[in-house]
Parts: sequence; C-alpha cells; structure tokens
Amino acid sequence: MSELGIKMIEYIVQEIMGGRDARIDENTALVSSGLIDSLALVDILFKLEELTNTRIPAGKVQAKDLDTVELMFRTAHRVGKPKK
Amino acid sequence: MSDRMFFHELPYRTLPDALFAAPEEKPFVTNWKNKDDIESVTFGEFKRRALTQARYFRSKGVKPGDTIILIMPQSIGLMAAFVGGMLIGAVPAILAYPNFKVEPTKYRYGLKGVSANLKATLIVVDKDFPDELTKHISVGEAARFIRCTSETLLEPLTEAYHCRIPNDLAFIQHSAGTTGLQKGVALSHAAVLKQISHLAPAIGIGPKDRIYSWLPLYHDMGLIACFMLPLVCHLPVVMQSPADWVMQPATMLELMSTFQCSLAWIPNFTLQFLARKVRPQDRSVLDLSCVRALINCSEPVRASSMDEFFSAYANAKLKPGILQSCYAMAETVFAVTQSDVTGLGPRRIWVDGDTFQKQGRALPTSKDAVGAVCRVSSGSCLPGTQIRIVSDGGEDLTPGNVGEIVIRSESMLDGYYNRPDLTTKAIRNGWYWSGDLGFLVDDELYVTGRRKDLIIVGGKNIYPQDVEEIVSLHRAIYDGRVVAFGRYNASLGTEEIVVVAEVHDESDLQNAETIERELRSSIAAELDVGIGSVYLKPPRWIVKSTAGKPARSTTREKLFAECADLQVPGELT
Repeated sequence: MSELGIKMIEYIVQEIMGGRDARIDENTALVSSGLIDSLALVDILFKLEELTNTRIPAGKVQAKDLDTVELMFRTAHRVGKPKK
Repeated sequence: MSDRMFFHELPYRTLPDALFAAPEEKPFVTNWKNKDDIESVTFGEFKRRALTQARYFRSKGVKPGDTIILIMPQSIGLMAAFVGGMLIGAVPAILAYPNFKVEPTKYRYGLKGVSANLKATLIVVDKDFPDELTKHISVGEAARFIRCTSETLLEPLTEAYHCRIPNDLAFIQHSAGTTGLQKGVALSHAAVLKQISHLAPAIGIGPKDRIYSWLPLYHDMGLIACFMLPLVCHLPVVMQSPADWVMQPATMLELMSTFQCSLAWIPNFTLQFLARKVRPQDRSVLDLSCVRALINCSEPVRASSMDEFFSAYANAKLKPGILQSCYAMAETVFAVTQSDVTGLGPRRIWVDGDTFQKQGRALPTSKDAVGAVCRVSSGSCLPGTQIRIVSDGGEDLTPGNVGEIVIRSESMLDGYYNRPDLTTKAIRNGWYWSGDLGFLVDDELYVTGRRKDLIIVGGKNIYPQDVEEIVSLHRAIYDGRVVAFGRYNASLGTEEIVVVAEVHDESDLQNAETIERELRSSIAAELDVGIGSVYLKPPRWIVKSTAGKPARSTTREKLFAECADLQVPGELT
C-alpha cells in the first residue's frame, strides 16, 4: 500500500472513527458498509486534497467515488486539479 | 409592485391553476450539479415539460385518481413528472432514489410493499435506474414500471387539464418510516393551497424572493417549502442534490450568494455542519447580505447551533435575525408554527433544568442561574391552526407545562393513505396527535422532544422499529431482543442512533467487532443512515415490558446508568 494510503487509513481510523477498534485496508468499503457516515465525507475530501495536493471541484465527486481508500486516490487522480 | 405579496385568498382552485398563472418568462428552477452542469427553466418551459409528461402518462393509460410512484434523481425532470401527473388528475408520490449502498433484494421487497400500500398504477424510474432493482419484482396486477427518458418526449398535452376540483387529491407525501411502516399522507389541492396562503404571508414572501434548497423532494420541507411554495407564489428556486451538498457543504452558501437567494429551510444540524465543515478561507469570501431568512425546521431548534453558525459567519455580512424557526410536519401539509421573521430571531427562554427534567415544567429562570437550560421558540401558530398541549391523561395543560402537542389545522390530512388503522390512532375528534412533546409560553410553541420514539437523524425520520427489525435478522442477535433509540449528539447538532442488542450466546461477544460491522452495513444498506453506537449485551440484559417485549425507555435508562457519558444535559429522559 502506498504511503499516502496508509496516512489516509490512519486519518479515517483516528479522526473519523474516533479510534474505534476496526481493521480497514485500502479496499474496505466505508460508507456502503456503514463504517462511516456520509456526513464524514466532507472531512475525507479535505484530507484527500491535502494528501494529493489537489483541489477537487464541487459537484464532480459522488459518495461512491470515495467508498474505499483506493477509490479515493483514483478519484483525486481523475478530477483533482493541482493546487496553485 | 409592493415588496410583499398578500395571499389571504389565493385566486387558484388547484395547484396547476397556479402554475398556469405564472409569468412565462420568469425563471423557475435552476438545478446546480457543478459549475459545468447547470440546468434552468422558466415557468413557461416548466409548464411545457409538465404538459409533455402529462401526455406521456396518459399514453401509458394513467387515469384520474391513479397513483403514480416517481423514483428519479433530484432534477427538473422529476419535478415536471410530478406536476405532469397532477395535470391529468393522477396522484403522484415521490420516493427516495436508491443510492449505491442499497441491497437489491431488500430494495425490491420494500418497493413492492410501498407500491401495494399506495395501490400504484405506474412506477416511473429514470433511464439510469439499475435493472437489478426491478428484476423479478411483481408490484401488483395493475402496476407497471416505465422508464422516463428524453427519448419518450411527445408533444405537450393541449387539451384542458383534468383536475378541477379543489378537494381532489393532489399528491401523496410520506411522513416517515421505511417499507412496512411508511405512512403516506394524501393531500388535496385545497389543503396545499390553504397552507401556502397562510405560510407565505407569515414569512413575508415578496416578488424579489428566491429560494435555495438542498432538501430532497420526497421530504415535506423540500416538496412544500421549496417546490410547491415557489410554484404557487411564482418564485425562482435554486437547488442541488442532498448528496452533492453533504460532500461539499460550502456550495450551499456559495450558491445562495451567487444566485442572490433570500430564503432557505434547513434542519438544525445544517447550522453546525456549515459552521464546522466549511473551511475559514471558503467562508471569508462569502457575501450573504442577500439572505432574508434561514428557517430552522424538522428537528428541535438548538440555540447553540444557531449561535455557532452566526459566530462562524460573522464576516459574511449576515443580517441580524436571519435565523428563524418553524414547526412543521407532513400531516399538516407543512408548517404549524412560524417565528416572526421581522424580529431578531426566535424568542429564547431559560428554564430550570432540574424542574424541567423531573417535573416536565418550564420554570423560568435567569440565563446565568445554575442549571439554566435555554429553549428556543418555534414561533406561533399560522392562521387557521390551533395547538393544545395535553397530558398523558388527556387533559389540557396550562402554559409552561410539557405535554403532547395536539393540532387542528385547515390544511390537515384527512388520513393516512390506505391506512385507516394509523389514521384512527393519530386523528381523534378532528385533532391530530403529533407524538411530539412541547410547551406553550405567550402563545409560542417550544418543542422539547417526542412521546413516540421517532429518531430524527439530520432531518431524516427513522423509526426505531425499522432499526430493531434489521438488527434482529443478524444470526448472532437474539431475535426481538433489540432496542434502538435516538440520542442528541451535541457535536453533530442532531440525533444519532444507539442500538442495544442481545447476543444469543455470551461467547458471541468475542466477535463483537465483526458483528458490529455487519450491523452497521445492514442499517446503511436498508435505511441509508449510519449508527452512532452499538452496544452488544449478553442474554437477558435488555429490560422487558410486562407484555414480554423489550422496553425501549427502561432499557435506555439502564444503559444511561451504566454509561453516564451518554446522558445529555437538559434533555428529557
């Protein structure tokens, strides 16, 4: 797994799930499995922008595009624009 | 033209009458998906699209009085189909569009149940609706699926539309619940127009108003306040989907600023969400001087949420008093009360927390007194609406005493659609028993909680029975030994779901993480909502009632006694 992927997983477990005892990897379904609520996606988007140094335009991403850590980075690659 | 309109007697007999009276060239709906995908229609264009849908439905054999279920994404197409149904005298009902979390078998089962309850003739889905959700489903002898696509467009209907009688049913909106517990509220044109004739002056609607909405159209706040109200009052509305908004909440205020929107309705949690999830750099560029009112509705109104929002947006040129409140429900079409939009915001009173919790009495105290709890008014009754506060024994309570809110309104439902059992329970001698708790002071309503166990998560109504039924299906859970209830989460500004479930065998607790994960997954798939906390307990932990059923409130008290940090100060327990 990439270093960025590991950082994202750490962030999700610690900040989103409050350190709850849950094992997740880059392919673990997050929203569709109910592990995290869709209200947390805004925080994940911010973290994704920070880790990838991109800006993800409003309205271009759907919840399903962020359902796993792997999908998150694929989405950032697809629609993210380099930060100025 | 005056800055304010007067609506005491709307000159329309039906909702289509109002649409047909709209200025052709005036902007109506703008549907914003992203900056490269914005669709807008004028009232004239919308009318033509609705007439086209009407002809399409008629070509499919839909007759006056038939029920049409619409399952389409939030869009102008959905709105046109809704009005198109009304134009031929059919009765449309919007259901939530399935998201990627849905489990096909369960979705099909739920849809079959709703369709049977509504006795639907037609189920209309869009071209992208997944095939797997409609396969092998029988939705009754009379009901058929059709896909509504741009390819099916015909010429608009030209003959006079059918619905002409104000007391005919206009549409069905759903009050709460999923599948088996879903309650359809059937509303006549007269009831909806009466509601709007009272609501519009209460919020000072004028010709320059423009509404913003991220609210779903299957919810009364989205359907009535943000679709029917602008349709009848001929106002523009700018909307985006709830899913898009929740991922990038800053877009709500950016759109309000860009499109100069003056009004929006929001559930309470939105205020905290906007305060906490919009980055300071995104907030700093906003000019919200165009906003006249953000009306807090659908959840108990919290002073802390309002203050946090106002503080976060102190530099956004907000006018004082723009945060307002309202108490509303599908059963009365929409609003029961409304705060005074010309004032500085809803009235606040401070009451002694101990007296409130133990005696159910709002004993006024000073703001700085020890144990003082702030309560925010939801305003006073709309004209044509009356409220009583009633004790457990059915006696009317004096001001300041907490009891069930009982309502009589000119725009009240006649009954739940095809559910006489539920109607008899809810409507007695012409009064609707809301199941909500509150008290009156100086003729203003303060909503404090609920007698019935409904959980409201981010403005979405969830029945605990639905949660309990899903959790009970898990192989490790003792069937029927599950309790779900709502708990206010101060950091979210809304309730979260707490589940207490007994396992079959104490050894199952060693697999608690896996079980919890599976339960969260099932709830998300079926109810499209997350669980706040899951407490797995050994056999015989849950308190049972004398009838042998899990006692929700007693089990909740037992859990609170065990986990003191779960209790929320100032909440009724």
